[in-house]
Amino acid sequence: MTDAVYSLQDVRFAYPRGPSPFSLELDALRLDHGEILALVGPNGAGKTTLLTLLAFLNRPSGGRLIFLGRDPWQDETRALQARRQAVLVTHHPYLFKGTISDNLAFGLEVRDIPEDERPARIGEALDLVELPGWEKRSVSGLSAGQAQRVALARALALRPAVLLLDEPTANIDAGLGLRMEAVLREVSRNTGMTVVFSTHNFSQASRLADDILYLSDGRRVEFGHENCFSGRAETDGRQSWIEPRPGLRVVFPGEVRGRVTCVINPADIRVLPAGRAAEAGNGPNVFAGRVTRMETTEAGLALVRVSGDLTFRVTLPVGELDASGISLSRPVLLKFEPGSVDIAGTRP
Amino acid sequence: MIAQEVFYAIWVSLKTSGLAALVASFLAVPAALFLASRDFRGKRLVLLVNQTWMAAPTVVIGLLFYALLSRTGPFGGLGILYTQTAMTVGQIFLILPLIVGFSYTALRQVDRRARTTALTLGASRRQAGLVVLREAKFPLLVAVLAGFARAVSEVGIAMMLGGNIRGETRNITTTIALETAKGEFTTGVVLGAILLALTLGINFAVIVGFRSGD
Repeated sequence: MTDAVYSLQDVRFAYPRGPSPFSLELDALRLDHGEILALVGPNGAGKTTLLTLLAFLNRPSGGRLIFLGRDPWQDETRALQARRQAVLVTHHPYLFKGTISDNLAFGLEVRDIPEDERPARIGEALDLVELPGWEKRSVSGLSAGQAQRVALARALALRPAVLLLDEPTANIDAGLGLRMEAVLREVSRNTGMTVVFSTHNFSQASRLADDILYLSDGRRVEFGHENCFSGRAETDGRQSWIEPRPGLRVVFPGEVRGRVTCVINPADIRVLPAGRAAEAGNGPNVFAGRVTRMETTEAGLALVRVSGDLTFRVTLPVGELDASGISLSRPVLLKFEPGSVDIAGTRP
Repeated sequence: MIAQEVFYAIWVSLKTSGLAALVASFLAVPAALFLASRDFRGKRLVLLVNQTWMAAPTVVIGLLFYALLSRTGPFGGLGILYTQTAMTVGQIFLILPLIVGFSYTALRQVDRRARTTALTLGASRRQAGLVVLREAKFPLLVAVLAGFARAVSEVGIAMMLGGNIRGETRNITTTIALETAKGEFTTGVVLGAILLALTLGINFAVIVGFRSGD
């Protein structure tokens, strides 16, 4: 069996002089060659912190982080070798002053890639992000989206073993974002590159990733297949639906056909005591169930699991939970708008 | 006053102050990079001392080094008092805090992401430091030129450590002081204009040279 790309065991990290008491604690995580992992969670959940640990920019304050069978933090030489194999593209990437080509050449220079090989690698990477022939342009005046694509090309030109992306398509329009996803999937498949990316977009996570790690307050939240349902879509032309169980419809807008996987963001679901059925109305996407699990997080969020018609996980502010009088094993109603349903994948 | 003497004084000014700016930069810029990139206990005190040192009058530094380099001083055995070397050493200590202060400000203004970006792209810590310097190269150049300007225009150190010896340590500023003391105000003004023109020329040449190489 080959070594895992990453193997994390009880990894902890706290910012030494940070203003907040935030800490990240991860029991176990294993990532293999060619695997794509999505990190999903609200702001401040620890997604970026985890990415900086995986990029060896921060050193864990406890636990074991093994990279390709070795401890990268044993000495500075190993840390440097590890950093050269795991490249991070940040949410607001920094581009060095100069031309786009200067930026793409930097990582190649420090790796001593022969000078005659560099133009081809730079050109190839720019082609992948749909900026062909942009080598000589100055980085000043690039839009946020273009800067993000240059930063992605800068990382791809290095052909790293691991690509770490912090909200990679946040500044890019939807169509281009989908094409960038396809590029990442193809590069990963062809080269065995492992990809870890953070996103707020559930459907992107489901579309692109082999696995999703949901983080909240620096801790893993076991999510399983809750809020994620599949079925053959039917449509009336205006809206479509699947029936994960006979008679139970998850409705979403637009005309969709074929086999569909849809995901509902836990923050988009309203939870009401069963006695307030009138508030839920007769609209679509109303489900009944009982609260089977409740947790509160330090960020003031409550995580509620409701099992009944279907199993859902809901996140809501603790204050809202207290005000509505929802408690463990109480019957509740769940409601979400058709527009809150993300279509994660369709097949004919 | 003969032209040869004027040219020699110009040469002494450029040589001692140019060398002082060069040596001080090699010490000050790495120190500023260290201060800008690390947080440690006592850092504010270091910056405060540096700030105070910036305001030190040239005669005070001259006096200090005079005490150190005079025959009875701890470094008297070196025998460098009243030489161009002594002037250069004094000027290095004069402009060191100035270049540290200006460079520190320049480097603090470089986006913090520049260093982490370099690191994640595979740079060693030394290479990442060089990236930060490169990102601030123009303000750093201004810091070095400001140091040179301060050195070339000072008179206290040149007078006390050089001794204003004709054909040896006499530079433009000590010549101006001497000519003014003799009542030769016109010569003093002309020499002052020459000093300013030289500084302008050097600033222009360095900045243009740097931009064309960019």
